[in-house]
Amino acid sequence: MSNGKELLNVNQLQTHFFTENGAIPSVNGVSFQVNKGELVAIVGESGSGKSVTSLSIMGLVEEPGKIVGGEIMFEDKDLAKYTNKQMRKIRGNDIAMIFQEPLTSLNPVFTIGNQLREAILQHQNVDKATAKKMSIDMLTQVGIPRADKVYSSFPHSLSGGMRQRVMIAMALSCNPKLLIADEPTTALDVTIQAQILELMKDLVKKMDTAIILITHDLGVVAELVDRVIVMYAGQVVEQSDVFSLFKDPKHPYTKGLLDSTPKIQDLNEELISIKGTVPTPANMPDGCKFHPRCPHAMDHCISNEPKLDTLENGREVRCWLYDEEVMADEQSKNGNEQSP
Amino acid sequence: MSQQVTPEPVPEPQGPAAPDSMKKHQKKSSFVRWMKLLLKSKTGTVGFLIVMVVFIVGIFSDQIAPFGVNEQNYANMLVPPAWQEGGSSEHFLGTDNLGRDILSRIIYGTTISLLVGIFSVVVAGILGMAAGLFAGYYGGWIDTVTMRMVDAFLSIPNILFILVILTVLNPGIMTLIFAIGVTNWVIYARLIRGEVLSVKEREYVKAARSIGTKNLTIIRRHVLPNVFSTFIVISTLSVATTIILEASLSFLGMGVQPPDVSWGYMLADGRDYLATNWWLATFPGLAITITVLGIIFLGDWLRDVLDPRSQGR
Amino acid sequence: MKRFLIQRFLQLIPVLIIMTFIVFSLVYVAGDPVALMLPEEATAEDVARVQESLGLNEPFHVQYGIFLMNAVQGDFGQSYRYNQDAMSIVLERLPATFELAAASMIFATLIAIPMGIWSATRRNTFIDLFITGSSVLGKAMPNFWLGIMFILILAVNTQLFPVSGRGTFMHVVLPAITLGTAVAAEMTRLTRSNMIEILQQDFVRTAKAKGVSNGIVTYKHSFRNALIPVVTIMALQTSTLVGGAIVTEQVFAWPGIGQLLVQAVNARDMAIVQAAVFLIAILVIVINLFADILYRLLDPRIKY
Ligand SMILES: Nc1ncnc2c1ncn2[C@@H]1O[C@H](COP(=O)(O)OP(=O)(O)OP(=O)(O)O)[C@@H](O)[C@H]1O
Ligand SMILES: [Mg+2]
Repeated sequence: MSNGKELLNVNQLQTHFFTENGAIPSVNGVSFQVNKGELVAIVGESGSGKSVTSLSIMGLVEEPGKIVGGEIMFEDKDLAKYTNKQMRKIRGNDIAMIFQEPLTSLNPVFTIGNQLREAILQHQNVDKATAKKMSIDMLTQVGIPRADKVYSSFPHSLSGGMRQRVMIAMALSCNPKLLIADEPTTALDVTIQAQILELMKDLVKKMDTAIILITHDLGVVAELVDRVIVMYAGQVVEQSDVFSLFKDPKHPYTKGLLDSTPKIQDLNEELISIKGTVPTPANMPDGCKFHPRCPHAMDHCISNEPKLDTLENGREVRCWLYDEEVMADEQSKNGNEQSP
Repeated sequence: MSQQVTPEPVPEPQGPAAPDSMKKHQKKSSFVRWMKLLLKSKTGTVGFLIVMVVFIVGIFSDQIAPFGVNEQNYANMLVPPAWQEGGSSEHFLGTDNLGRDILSRIIYGTTISLLVGIFSVVVAGILGMAAGLFAGYYGGWIDTVTMRMVDAFLSIPNILFILVILTVLNPGIMTLIFAIGVTNWVIYARLIRGEVLSVKEREYVKAARSIGTKNLTIIRRHVLPNVFSTFIVISTLSVATTIILEASLSFLGMGVQPPDVSWGYMLADGRDYLATNWWLATFPGLAITITVLGIIFLGDWLRDVLDPRSQGR
Repeated sequence: MKRFLIQRFLQLIPVLIIMTFIVFSLVYVAGDPVALMLPEEATAEDVARVQESLGLNEPFHVQYGIFLMNAVQGDFGQSYRYNQDAMSIVLERLPATFELAAASMIFATLIAIPMGIWSATRRNTFIDLFITGSSVLGKAMPNFWLGIMFILILAVNTQLFPVSGRGTFMHVVLPAITLGTAVAAEMTRLTRSNMIEILQQDFVRTAKAKGVSNGIVTYKHSFRNALIPVVTIMALQTSTLVGGAIVTEQVFAWPGIGQLLVQAVNARDMAIVQAAVFLIAILVIVINLFADILYRLLDPRIKY
């Protein structure tokens, strides 16, 4: 199955949360691939299942959540079937993760150095002194001045941006093949956001690490990544190279997302937001999950769920508008209605 | 014995919206809704049932108890409980060294426990509320002195103060209520003062004051509703610790005095017969444990219901 | 740190003054100790002479002043029963109470911290239910009853332990468990709730994302953070412990300050009551101070 370039292949992943009010399918049949060294973004509104997808890959879904179906093929190993003990060899070593909140993601009672060398000592066969040297080297690489001083200081003495650099250093310290960054810059100042993203991009290019970047910021997407995965209500609704996506979005939801993002060229143009909100798992609509908010919804969409279809040059979309049979049907129906 | 009521403030609902919603809650909810909420929690239900039974037994002890509290029967001394060899169904939990029926004495003891438990909490509540309101409202040296007193009381086990008071006053139910009340007021004082201070700073209270609303009205409208739920929870749990405290003091011979009967006193009595007649000391202790357990369950449930943020802890 | 210490010491002064004031005024109200001190056949002149010599004719505030001055020097007067300096009698009993309190605290800590962690990491399982249930029960049982039940089952019936008194290690086991149970119950509950809160923190997820073992996640990253509030709890519990010791010593005839105090209260031996209350209060305050300092050392976020 692997073509030699492929690093990660998520196939029909299903992660459910088993709450008092029944199972919540937060991730409901997600499929996508990431190639070696590739920069991929996952975008989508809040609650669409981006974080749960990435935590599933890391094997970090907490109770009451559970991976109930699908595969997570990472270098031909199915991580979905891995035990926690097996996953520990992968986490921090082959796959690393950066979280949204740099302020709370570092342990307040241990020094930066202590937390940084922990991953190195865990995965690499080195002694403490070497681990320290590697850690300080890593801190320098992420652009922290006076790295040896920072090494022995506590998180509370660093700014948010600095802490996120530390998090990046920590994540990259074992040279992972894949880095998952879940909204790594949302909590930071705008000026610092750009620096951090630039830094991440430089480092992963140098180390040939693939990135899954989770974000709300389509501007970031346009600048940084090669490919975009759009998620809605626990599913992938569109997948495309970044250039085509911006030029010609296929899914009505993607169009909506793009229309609601400000563009520098036409600041005067009014932003159009997508009407309605993401459905809660409790009242998930039948048929296409986006149809209640979709400006192009047809009768067919109300009760039939579309599949993820492959279009030209590897793009994928989950929408009936691109199904020729259905469209032909709809057109003839409309024609019939109008004629009498 | 002083499991001091560690003041563990239930963070009260914030903002001006809270009192309103509380009021509505109380009015509309009525009995059925509270019952539904109660039945959702197993421990809450158990606690509620125990407390109900204890109250009924305490109030109707005269009617329920098969024998008089000090009814002695020298023909029936140290009879074991009914299920043991030599036991009689007449004295279900056996009799003591004077032939008094243990079950009856436990039933009478319920009344005393509840009396002391509830009234000393009332005394503490009133004193603490007054002190807290004063300190918070007038600030300045009144506040300083009050709060240093609170610190002093909190830093020393309350049983010490009570013991000192008991060297001065003659032991008895009234003394106990007074002594426990005047040592436990600090918990309420701290709670109320804190709320007064935060309420004082709110715009609508400043506005109310500027148009000349009376202090008392402000307190009634803005301070009390905000601390109400915390007050209830603390008070409930205080009754539990007070019952243990009363029993401890009576056990030491410094609490309830004969002819009144107290579970703690019964225990002290029974201790001398431990080697031969185990039931004397065992059952009064069980009564205390079950009662306190019920109150704790009920109090914890109240805390969960009145303050959703603390749930699951 | 130095400033914090000085500040903290200065805060103690009003607390101590108020404490001594309360104790003194109660004793003042209690009235005349002279009647108890003299033989019954003493004449009115004898009484007057002794009152004079003790300064009992002075106004309240002068008497209080004298009392304070003496208290600072550890002089609480003579116990009329022992005809001895009250403070030295109390101090003689200190080691016994200290032994009991320390043994109970060790017992409580050894039980409570593992139990609290255990139930927090296995939330809503049978084990968690069992541990939380036991800790509520531990809080509900009055410790004198627990002590008596221990004596009944483990000393009287099976003769595994001595019934009462102090001496060997076996002597301290039952009193320590009796006194430690309520403390352990409260500590378990609070350790559990702190651990639960901390296990949900982002930095715990970060640690897991590094691939370290569950043990490191639980004991290094989580417990080290949970320990900070637990230390505070332990300090708060010393108050419970001391209060409980008074009763527990009575149950096991443990020759500590608690037993002495109860006897003194019954005999209205004011000098001893004052000395004992004063000493206990100071000890509790000092332990709380230590906990405060420890708290600061454990949490690097607190700056001085
Ligand atoms: N612990 C949990 N218990 C129950 N449901 C959960 C839990 N965690 C996540 N979910 C559900 O999973 C869904 C997806 O959540 P997720 O955090 O993946 O969204 P997201 O796309 O990352 O959103 P955001 O952009 O806000 O981070 C949510 O609707 C939420 O209800
Ligand atoms: Mg998210």
